[in-house]
Amino acid sequence: MNQDRERNAAGEEPKVGVYICHCGGNISDHVDVEKVENLAAKLPGVAVARRNMFMCSDPGQEMIMEDIKAGRINRVVVASCAPSLHETTFRGAIARAGHNPYLYEHANIREQVSWVHHGAGATAKAATLVSAAVAKAQSLEPLRPIRVNAWGHATVIGGGVAGLKAAGELSRRGIKVTLVEKTPFLGGNTAQLDLVFPTADRAGDLIEALVTQVLDDPNVQLLTCAEVTASEGYVGNFRLKVARRPPQKDAFREQLAKAQEAGLRNFVPFVGLLPVEAPKTEEVFTLETGAIILATGFRHYVPYKGEYGYAEFPQVVTLPDLIKSVAADPGGGTLRLGGREVRTVAMIHCVGSRQIPGVNEPPGADRLNEHCSRVCCTATLQVAVELRTKYPKTVVYDLFRDIRTYGRGHEEFYLNASRKAVRFLRFTPEQPPVVSSSVDGTSALRITVADTLLGGEEVEIPVDLVVLAVGMESGSVSSLVEMMKLPTGADGFLLEVHPKLRPVEVAASGILLAGTAQAPMDISESTAAASAAAVKASAILSRGYVELDPFVARVSPERCTGCGDCVEACLVDGALVMKETSGGQSMPEVNPALCKGCGVCVAACPEKALEVNGWTLQQYETMVDAIVSQPAAASEGGI
Amino acid sequence: MTSPLQEFDTLIIGGGIAGLQAALDLAEQDFKVAVIERDPSIGGRMIRLSKVFPTLDCASCITTPKMAASAHHDNITLFTYCELEKVERENGVFRASVRQKPRYVIEEKCIGCRQCEYACPVYSPDQEQGGFGARKAISIPFSNAVPQTAILDVDSCMLCGKCEKVCPTGAVDYLQQPREFELQGRSVIVASGYRLLEEYPQQAYGNAALQPNLITSLQMERILAPHGPYMRVLRPSDGKEPESIAFIQCAGSRDLTFGVPYCSRVCCMYAIKQAMLLSGALPLADLTVYYMDIRAFGKNYEQFFQNAKAMGIEFVKAKPVITGQGESQSVRIRYEDQESGSGVVEREHDLVVLSLAVVPAWQPGPILSVSSADDGFIKSIRPKLAPSLTDQEGVFTAGMAVGPKDIVDTIVEAGSAAMAAANYLSAGADSRRRAAGGGSQ
Repeated sequence: MNQDRERNAAGEEPKVGVYICHCGGNISDHVDVEKVENLAAKLPGVAVARRNMFMCSDPGQEMIMEDIKAGRINRVVVASCAPSLHETTFRGAIARAGHNPYLYEHANIREQVSWVHHGAGATAKAATLVSAAVAKAQSLEPLRPIRVNAWGHATVIGGGVAGLKAAGELSRRGIKVTLVEKTPFLGGNTAQLDLVFPTADRAGDLIEALVTQVLDDPNVQLLTCAEVTASEGYVGNFRLKVARRPPQKDAFREQLAKAQEAGLRNFVPFVGLLPVEAPKTEEVFTLETGAIILATGFRHYVPYKGEYGYAEFPQVVTLPDLIKSVAADPGGGTLRLGGREVRTVAMIHCVGSRQIPGVNEPPGADRLNEHCSRVCCTATLQVAVELRTKYPKTVVYDLFRDIRTYGRGHEEFYLNASRKAVRFLRFTPEQPPVVSSSVDGTSALRITVADTLLGGEEVEIPVDLVVLAVGMESGSVSSLVEMMKLPTGADGFLLEVHPKLRPVEVAASGILLAGTAQAPMDISESTAAASAAAVKASAILSRGYVELDPFVARVSPERCTGCGDCVEACLVDGALVMKETSGGQSMPEVNPALCKGCGVCVAACPEKALEVNGWTLQQYETMVDAIVSQPAAASEGGI
Repeated sequence: MTSPLQEFDTLIIGGGIAGLQAALDLAEQDFKVAVIERDPSIGGRMIRLSKVFPTLDCASCITTPKMAASAHHDNITLFTYCELEKVERENGVFRASVRQKPRYVIEEKCIGCRQCEYACPVYSPDQEQGGFGARKAISIPFSNAVPQTAILDVDSCMLCGKCEKVCPTGAVDYLQQPREFELQGRSVIVASGYRLLEEYPQQAYGNAALQPNLITSLQMERILAPHGPYMRVLRPSDGKEPESIAFIQCAGSRDLTFGVPYCSRVCCMYAIKQAMLLSGALPLADLTVYYMDIRAFGKNYEQFFQNAKAMGIEFVKAKPVITGQGESQSVRIRYEDQESGSGVVEREHDLVVLSLAVVPAWQPGPILSVSSADDGFIKSIRPKLAPSLTDQEGVFTAGMAVGPKDIVDTIVEAGSAAMAAANYLSAGADSRRRAAGGGSQ
């Protein structure tokens, strides 16, 4: 933004432009937008009032810019969707017209009006919100974003495929990275796999390829056995405490022994890759970092005791268990597990996924996994095909709800499974398969299921092994969630700002998501998400500075008595501190980079010596005055 | 007419959501980007959709800001209504020969005032509205098109000269010629998107496919769009409000006989979404989705599907065929009802939507030397670790061009393609510096 070019309207008579969005019909189907436009046009201070089908579209933004450039207006009110969606869009348009982008007020007449009210009441409420916004717009002052330097360093939390990929991308881009991994090993959950679909790449080869890019890289600091213990700061300027501790006495003993036998830096199947020796003493690092990428991964769902016979019958195992058991087996004839012949296998899908309230009632669960875990269908069919190929005499049944082989090259596994005579039975969540012990002893177990492919006919299958395709759950990130105030969704996974507008960002600026910390994904999707997170981090860090919104507290020294109530009330460490002035008086000072503009200090001050920029008490008063003096709203009522 | 050669860091083929997101992610890192788009407007398929799953945001609300941001970004240049004729790589530089088709309106002069459109006396079917509405022979492509430049359809224009007379800037040029020019870039991102397998219905159903109330899913998107052809939900043949609407899933997908073997990945979710929107528009209508498997695999998709079931939308596991026209122009179908075991069923619906398979919109060969895989989409050479990598050095890919995927996955993949291109570009810059003796280490 060119400051010389920018006209900031200070001292000019306020001339408000009001722009009302139809949002296709989202708003105009319920709000009489023409009426709102006419009412707005008559409000004091309003110079123009206009409408558009989509204010956020180029023609909509163009309309605002032209009015500014022609000098018709010097304040802008857009009445449209929630400000979280498009406030920045319209500020951008104002800035492009050479005007101060903070001379802008947003009225939410979609989420707060048309989506929740109908008829005359909706129109009246929209008109009221617009009049309040117009009133406030007239008392807005030009503001400037707060520019702060950004550390040219990023921190990646999690050393699975997503974390490794993100670290590698950033390093190649010339950005210094610290990779923090909780365990002694790299590779995460992928290390627990053998061959991965659909390429039949060996999981270990993928991990080694990613690790090669970060080991010995002067840009990458690798901290295994490490956890973030404290976090403070803001985009561009985070300060993280990371503790690197020796593994607890019994943890990882077996895996570490295997890894040491294989030698450092060599991948060990079902363990991971040990890049360096585990530390012998505790060490604490302080990282000054500009962006944080969360690649904390997932956990497998653990079936409860008795779920499809799990933990009741030794012949009931999970899919990851089975993958591990058959990985090194050369195959031939019939599958043997634990010395027993497995003539028949049944694989059950959607265990701990797609749970339905009122239908699935896992004992002791505080949350149902209502989500689909995305990868298990193809993973199950891949193993089914592998079993039929390696052990041609073992019969495989596949019990599913829907086969979701959605990805590129995934459908082939379904086709191959059918060709290799895997027998498919389809069940409904209301009538799930029942696993019980065999009656006649010809097999270890039996399964009864109502097969909807046969019009719901009940089928009984004797089986020697039951494999549960367990779903994915959010990893254990509660301490990070607490520390960094991260949002999580109803499904327990970390929550993005918006799945399409900002899919890898969380609400706190500078914190990014990569991989299965966000939702179930396969390896391809996790690495793509990691690169997408890296590109956002790169955009933040490559400039060397970040710009923050100027909606922060400010102190009026002439009113302040130095009582310190505001500092006591302040919720953010360091945002408001008492400082000695040159006159020897004690006075609060705002750190604009830390202040969140929450306004607690404003409420605490007995002298009204504090204000939040862009949201002053006087501005609130004008809004309230406009609302109570709205005859249109009062007469039409019905809100 | 030729323009001087223009140099960029990255040439992006396709101005849909994948291309625009990749462009923005590169431009934000100060790389210079050219976006080459075949249509008169950027925005791709997404800007033509109604609302998008699973949030039910209007598609425009999400797409238009990205379109506007691309159009205004100092580092992004848009080339619309352009055909790519040849891309050649020489000494690590891609030279793209581009042919801009004539709009018969001078882009630099048109101010998008629509006077020509109002004056034009000729109406023709509007393909932007699924062929249902009418447009003038000269018009702005659609209300939120970028750029807002009028375009003249030579096939329907009768050269009456009215548009030329009313144009306040003298922008109409009946004699406009194609413009040939060359763009240079050090890397390329292919984001050329998809089209529907429109040829499927006739191959699969024969002449029974030729009936007005059998429509494609993208046509249903237009009917549901808030600024659609009818501004409400009506069926095309007679303008009647349909009382019974059905969706046929896997129309061409997972079909080894007439269609494609793969899953098109988006159809389950958009059919559920369309059914939900229809249930809002026509609360009394019967809504049926005929499916093979419901593939609601993305974040919050399964929950969306369960909501649709709770709303009373009927899901029938079957793969119906269209057998002909039923009573009062309804569409007659036949299928095997597996779940009830009641055998072959015949049914009629007032309106039937085919969830057609998606296929690549553009084949790079022989224009650009990158390989496609057996499924016709661009071949990703490291699908697990670097999905946007093609077999041509410096060429990356994202979105539907590299296999069916929904908008969320496309946007993420576009970011990853931008990251890969950025790293390729900066590695190139380092090696050039080293070659020049500057030394970057």
